[in-house]
Order: sequence, then C-alpha cells, then structure tokens
Amino acid sequence: MKRTDLPSRIVDLGLSRGATDASVKLIDLDRTMIRFSNNEVTVFKSYREALIAIFLMVGKHRAGSTINLSSVEKVESVVERLIKIAKTSPPADVYAPLPRGPFRYDPSLLKPSKVSFAPRRLVGYVEDAIGGVLEAGAKKAAGSLVATKTRTVLATSGGAQGTQEKTNLEISVRAFTSEISSGHFVSISQREEEFNPGEAGRIAGEIAVAALNPAPGEPGKYTALLGPLVFADFVNQVGMLSSAFLVDIGQSFLVGKIGSEVASEKFTLLDDPTLSGSYGVRAFDDEGVPTRRNKIVDGGVLETYLHNSTTAKKFKTETTGNAGLIVPRPWNLVVEPGDKTFEELLSEIDRGIYVTNDWYLRYQNYRTGDFSTIPRDGLFVIEDGRIEKSVRELRISDNMIRIFKNIRGLSESRFWIKWWEVGIPTLTPYAVVEDLNFTKSTM
Amino acid sequence: MEGLLEQVVDLALTMGADYAEARFQSDITETVILKNGVPDATTLSEARGLGVRVLFKGALGFASTNLLNRRAFKNAVKRALKGAKAASRAVSLGVRMGEADLGKGRVEVKPRISFDYVDMDARLELLSEADRRAVEAAKEAGADLPARIFTLDTLTTEKTIITSDGARVSSSIPRVALSAFMTAYHPQKGAVQRFFDRGEAAGWETVERWDIVRLAREEAYSLAKVLMEAEKPPKGVVDMILGPEVIGLVSHESSGHPGEADRVLGREAAQAGETYLKADSLGMRVGSQLVNVVDDPTIKGSFGFYLYDDEGVKARKRVLIKEGVINEFLQNRETASVFGVESNGASRANAYNREPIVRMANTFLEPGDYTFEELVEDVREGIYIKNFMEWNIDDRRFNQRYVGLEAYKIEDGELKGLVRNPVLEVTTVGLWSAVDAVGKDLEFQAAYCGKSDPMQGMPVWTGGPHTRLRGIRLGGGT
Repeated sequence: MKRTDLPSRIVDLGLSRGATDASVKLIDLDRTMIRFSNNEVTVFKSYREALIAIFLMVGKHRAGSTINLSSVEKVESVVERLIKIAKTSPPADVYAPLPRGPFRYDPSLLKPSKVSFAPRRLVGYVEDAIGGVLEAGAKKAAGSLVATKTRTVLATSGGAQGTQEKTNLEISVRAFTSEISSGHFVSISQREEEFNPGEAGRIAGEIAVAALNPAPGEPGKYTALLGPLVFADFVNQVGMLSSAFLVDIGQSFLVGKIGSEVASEKFTLLDDPTLSGSYGVRAFDDEGVPTRRNKIVDGGVLETYLHNSTTAKKFKTETTGNAGLIVPRPWNLVVEPGDKTFEELLSEIDRGIYVTNDWYLRYQNYRTGDFSTIPRDGLFVIEDGRIEKSVRELRISDNMIRIFKNIRGLSESRFWIKWWEVGIPTLTPYAVVEDLNFTKSTM
Repeated sequence: MEGLLEQVVDLALTMGADYAEARFQSDITETVILKNGVPDATTLSEARGLGVRVLFKGALGFASTNLLNRRAFKNAVKRALKGAKAASRAVSLGVRMGEADLGKGRVEVKPRISFDYVDMDARLELLSEADRRAVEAAKEAGADLPARIFTLDTLTTEKTIITSDGARVSSSIPRVALSAFMTAYHPQKGAVQRFFDRGEAAGWETVERWDIVRLAREEAYSLAKVLMEAEKPPKGVVDMILGPEVIGLVSHESSGHPGEADRVLGREAAQAGETYLKADSLGMRVGSQLVNVVDDPTIKGSFGFYLYDDEGVKARKRVLIKEGVINEFLQNRETASVFGVESNGASRANAYNREPIVRMANTFLEPGDYTFEELVEDVREGIYIKNFMEWNIDDRRFNQRYVGLEAYKIEDGELKGLVRNPVLEVTTVGLWSAVDAVGKDLEFQAAYCGKSDPMQGMPVWTGGPHTRLRGIRLGGGT
C-alpha cells in the first residue's frame, strides 16, 4: 500500500467499525530552525515527523487521536479504541455530519514553491540578517530562521481527498544597540525570491539605533501610530477570537456582535487562504471543505464568525472552511490597506506615541475586550508630526473594541507578519489609533 | 531503547561530534472536554520519538524524528551533525558542556490509581457534575454562568537520556491537569471571567483529592459574588496582601524568569527576552530581608517534578533570592560553563522534538511565620488580592502588572467587602522591597510556562504563602 493511500484506508476502517463519519490526515513535516543570538548561531535544529491524525464520529459522539506514522495493526487498535470511547461517551448537543463532496481544490494552492533546505544556504540567510543589523549601526542581533516543508494528505468519509504540499521561509530578527534599546522585524514568504532576511535585519537595526537612550515615558492617552508588528498582534486577536468555538465559550469580545460595528469603517479584515503564493495559503480545511476568502470585518462591521460544520450547525449557519475539527481558526489574515504613506500618517499626529512592537498580551476580560500588553523594542514620542524621542516603560492598557473603533488611518503599504507573538500570518498596514491608553509602574 | 540510544551516541562520536546526547521521550495524553455542560471531542495523543544533540567545534546541532527505527535514528544523527558543521562557520565563542553531577538511575512515579482504570465517560461525568454545581452556585449568588469550559488531561511521560560523557537516566512520570474557564453574567452588572488550574505528578487519586465538584462550586460562587458585589477600589497608597495564587505568579515571573542564566547570556533575546539581571548581579539586593524565593524540582507530586534533568544532571533545590539578595541563577550545562559553575539541573525539554533549555520547575516564595489574621490585623487601609485574571511583565522582567479578580478591602485590621479589579503595577525591585510580612501557609498552583522557539509549554508549580506589601500605589499609573 502506498503511504498516501493510508488516510482513505483508515477512513474505510473507521466506517466499517461503526463510525458515522471519519476524517484522517497524514502529515509529513521537514523543518529546520536556526536560532541565533549575540551575532552568532546558538543552535541548528532539524525536525522530521510523520503523523496520522484520526477523527471519528458516531453520531453526536466524537473522538480523535494523533499518533506517529504506525503499522496497520497499531492504527487498527487506535481506531477501535476511538470507536469505543465515542460510543460510551455522553453525546454532544449537535451532530453535524462531515460535509459531503465531491470537492474541487484550486491546483495553484496545492503545490509548493522551490526552496533550498541546504544547511549552508540557511546559515547564509542568518548571516545576511546579522549583517543587516550591524550595517544599520546596531551592535547585536538575535532571532530565529525557520524553513518548513509539509505534505498533508487528507481523506474524509464525505468523499474529500486532497494532498497539499507547502514550503515556507521565515525569519524573525531582533537588534540591540543597548540592553534597553532594541528593534525587531521579520520576513516571511513561500518563495525564496521574496524572502529578505537582510532587509528584516536592516529594519530591526534602524529601529534599534533610533531607540537609543530612551527616557521614561509618561502615562496617559495618546494618538498612537502602531507599526506592523504590534498591529498584526491586535489583528490576530480579532481573527482568532472570531472562532465560533471561542465565541461559544465566552472567550471573545465578539460575542453577540454579528452585524454590529466593532471597528472603524476604515477597517476591513479578511481571512484569505486562497491568496496564491502567500505564507498561509491552504486549499482545504480539516473537514476537506475547500477554503475560501471570508470577510470577517467589512468596513467596521462584524460579518461572520469562523466555522467548521459543527459550530456552523450550532450557530444555524454554514461552514466557512475554517475547520479545526474542534476549534475553527483563521489561516491567513489580510487587512485592507489605507490610502496614506507612513510619513503622511506620522505628519498628522500632533502629540502621540509610535509603538513598533509588543508582547505579553493578556485579557482582564475576554468578553468585554479589556486587556493590557507591553510595548517592546522601539517606542517613540511623536510631537508635531515628527518622531521626537525614544521612551520606555509604558504599557498599553485599553479595550480591544475601543482600539479598533478608534482607528483613524491606515497606511497603503502593508507587510506580512508572523513571529513568536503573532501566530497567524497577517498582511497588515501601519495604523493610527486615537486615544490609546498607556500606563506605567507606580514604584 | 537504551541500546539504540547508545548506538546513536556512538555513531555521533564516530562521525566527529565532540559531545552527543540522545533522548527518547514518549508523551501520551488523554483529554476530555466539557463545553457549556456538554462533551466535546475526547482526544488521545501520542508523541514519541528521538531527540539528539551534538557539539561540533563549539556549534550545537539538534535533530528529532518520530520514526522509531535504526535508519531514521541514523539519519537524525547525520542531520544534527550536518547542521552543527554548517553552523560552526557562524560561531566564535561556541558552546561547551560544563562539568556536572551526572546521574545514573531510574525515577518512577507510581500512580496509586492508574489512569487506565478510569474510563472517559466517568471522567466526563465528573466534569458534568462539576459543571452543574458551578451553574447552581452562581445562581445562588445571583448571576448566570452562560459560558464554561472544563478540560481534564492525563499525561504519561517516559524518558531515557544517554550522554557521551556518562549520564544514563530514565524516568516515568504520570501527570494530571485540570483547566477551567468560566464567565459569570448579569444583565445589569455585565460579565466577569476566571481561569483556574490544578496539576500534579501523580495518578487519578489526585483528582479524587482535588474534589473537582466542590472546587468548581466554590470558584463559580466566588466569581458570581465578585460580579454582583465588587465596588471600585480606593485610590492612592495602600497596604496590600497577596494570596498564594498571586505571590506564586510573582515568584515565577519576577524571580524565576529573570534568574534564568540563558536569558542573562542573551540566548532567548529575540523571543522570551533578556533580564534586568547581569552576570555580576549575584549578591545584588532586590527585596526585603524576608524574601526567599526558591525553585525546587524535587517536591514529590509537584507538577514540575523531576530528579534528573534532560541533560542527565541530578536535580536539586535552587535558592534564587536569599534574604532579599540574588543568590543563584538557574543553569544548564551550556550556561554553567560560561559562568564557571556547575549546572544546577535546570535543563528541560517538553517533548522529544524540542531542545532542552533552562527552565523553572516549582518556583515559590518560602513561608514566614505570620497567620493570615496577623497579616490583616496590622493593616489600616489596604487591599487583599486573592486571585487574578490579567497579568503581564516586560521582557526584561522588571515592570509588571497584576489585576486582582477576587479582592477585598481591608479597613482597620478587618477584611471588608469585595473590590473590582485593583491594579498592582510595579517594578520587580519595588514589589519585593515592599514585602514586610510573610505568612506561614504555603499553597501551589499548576501552570504551563511558555518559553523558547518553537514554544515549549512546561509543567510547573508556582506558589507561596499570603504575603503583605506596604505602601503600594494602586492603579495603572494614570
């Protein structure tokens, strides 16, 4: 039996043992990560994995398992155990059969681009990034380079059959000019020709140089210019918390907001895994449903949650092609651009703060959207339309919906962002937000 | 498996490695989820494989595979070495594995009640009962509990580690973890939310001891009371008593993390960040005489329990802050060689396909000699923060914020009514220096600590006693 036939065989096995529905994925992963700090490589890491993800339903009873690629006997025993667990578990409130095909997938989304995984070439990318940091005048570089090749073979009892191959490159670079002055930027791409680690290093280095000698920041409400890294983090919150699963458990500020204004009319957010050549491209979801371009927020109004067929049935709607068999999720977030240059956005701010990055975003209340997060790397006071000085030690303590409603402008230029703090690849502009609340430590 | 790992290490040395370490790790996890009173999918996951690390001319290479055969293992060694060789051109200082107390032996935590004896439907029935009681309890306090999710995990971790310089250790550790999130709601009062967790290295007997039904009931009742009764906190400077859940988090975030030697050296600079401490900060005063923060992986039953770390080094208790003074960093063999000390056994990896790095285990403020009543009776105007929802800290571990959830006013030595969302936003030194009395009680909370790239969520305990701080300015600084 060919390895790629395994998912269909396991689906048949599950159905023959009493499952009403089955979805099986075979995932082959080949990943290299190079971490670097203090201008040198700290570790070279190489991962190879072959996994099988099995999900079975017996009506309203559902069970799933992820195991190593294994012998047929082992797979059989896992399937039998899952069937037994499903049959003896109490039922869920909803039974949504897996969507029935046949499905057609866009062939342009299924094939990988050519990327070299030669270790010396990948180390070369790291050297380019470090070179960019140092050429910009910063002293120290740290970061991670990741090169990933995946093949996903999916089969479902609904007749879905597909093989998706992908390659990705990403680098995250942080530059330091002192222990309290730093900058950060990234480059992510499916294609080598669009991957630019040297440029990411240079931008990080320039921010770090500008951030030298920061003064203590003053708390208060400011017009904020949010750079692509920090705005991508906020946009990720809207994207992830639009998952119907999280809405259902109250872990979202979008509960009950369909059709309501949740952002400024300037803000439109899509989940678009069909954007050929982009990092988060994907032809089908975990139920085998072809992915599609979903407008989550259109001109400030919340249009949809993200669904699999189970959450869709519960919410009396249709799947959006975002399964996650348990938790629906966005694949590839895209913010529509604005109409101004960075310089124009900056020049229109009389008194403000330019935030280049943030980390550690935590909610006081997901339902209301009250949260705080900590700006890190370059943080600058803006006066009379110009960057005046570098500051530090401030915290953004505000409300997510208020922030999105207070968007005054977006840049026409956009950047693909994904890194440690931004899990979903996001194409984002700069954003200007009115009255952003900053706090600081009191002692 | 030990024989195969020996071959992996031998092959790496034959191929030119200066050091080699082979780790087999198997993690079996069973999860039941109850969402708004009904079961979601039950999941079983198995992650088993080899992680191999090699040193070549100061360059560190790591490779993993989940294909459990000789060919795949050999290929992993080749990949690790090839990577290290390619990296060696971009290495100047290089990595060395310092001398350490390397172990030989086996650690086995034997559950009194095996997870195999408890079917998934019984686990779900337990959560269902807890959920029903929680809803009832919130109702008693006048609120609805419209959104709830309970997750119960049982985990079994098996490890075998062999290094080229003599470590030979293996372990089998069962763990159980409960995680819950609930929203209390009232049409006029709005909504409040709470996460709570439990976790230990033990068998099902621990779940029975936790009494999840009672726990859920109490948590829901308290949350509803907060929603219905909490009033605005006072403004200005007050004294503050932090409960074990809060002081445990403080110990973890602003003593454990800044004391990680890899942060001091900048190895985590691009992700988890650096630290306000420097290599010469040992001996620096950061708190009052009463502050003693330790990290101890050897506590039996603890969520962060281990007796040998993932470099095969014997674990021991680490005293991070002693009488208010920085005393010791958390070290693995790589960082210890830079500092010229011996590793204190802080190297951990959360899966076969993750490199071992410096991590905490069970971090806590050591108890003092006050009862809770004695702490309260000496406060004229203050706030008692029992637990929290929002928190964060900068990546140098110096500016932090904790927002109280269940919190009470203290007036003239007596506990009064609930207050809403009091904010403690202070520096690390400011916080530890404000400690003027430490309780004699000691409680722990379970958590998964996040660090490294790719992210490694590591089971830990955080803990401490009720602790009093003097002269805290409330609010977020505006």
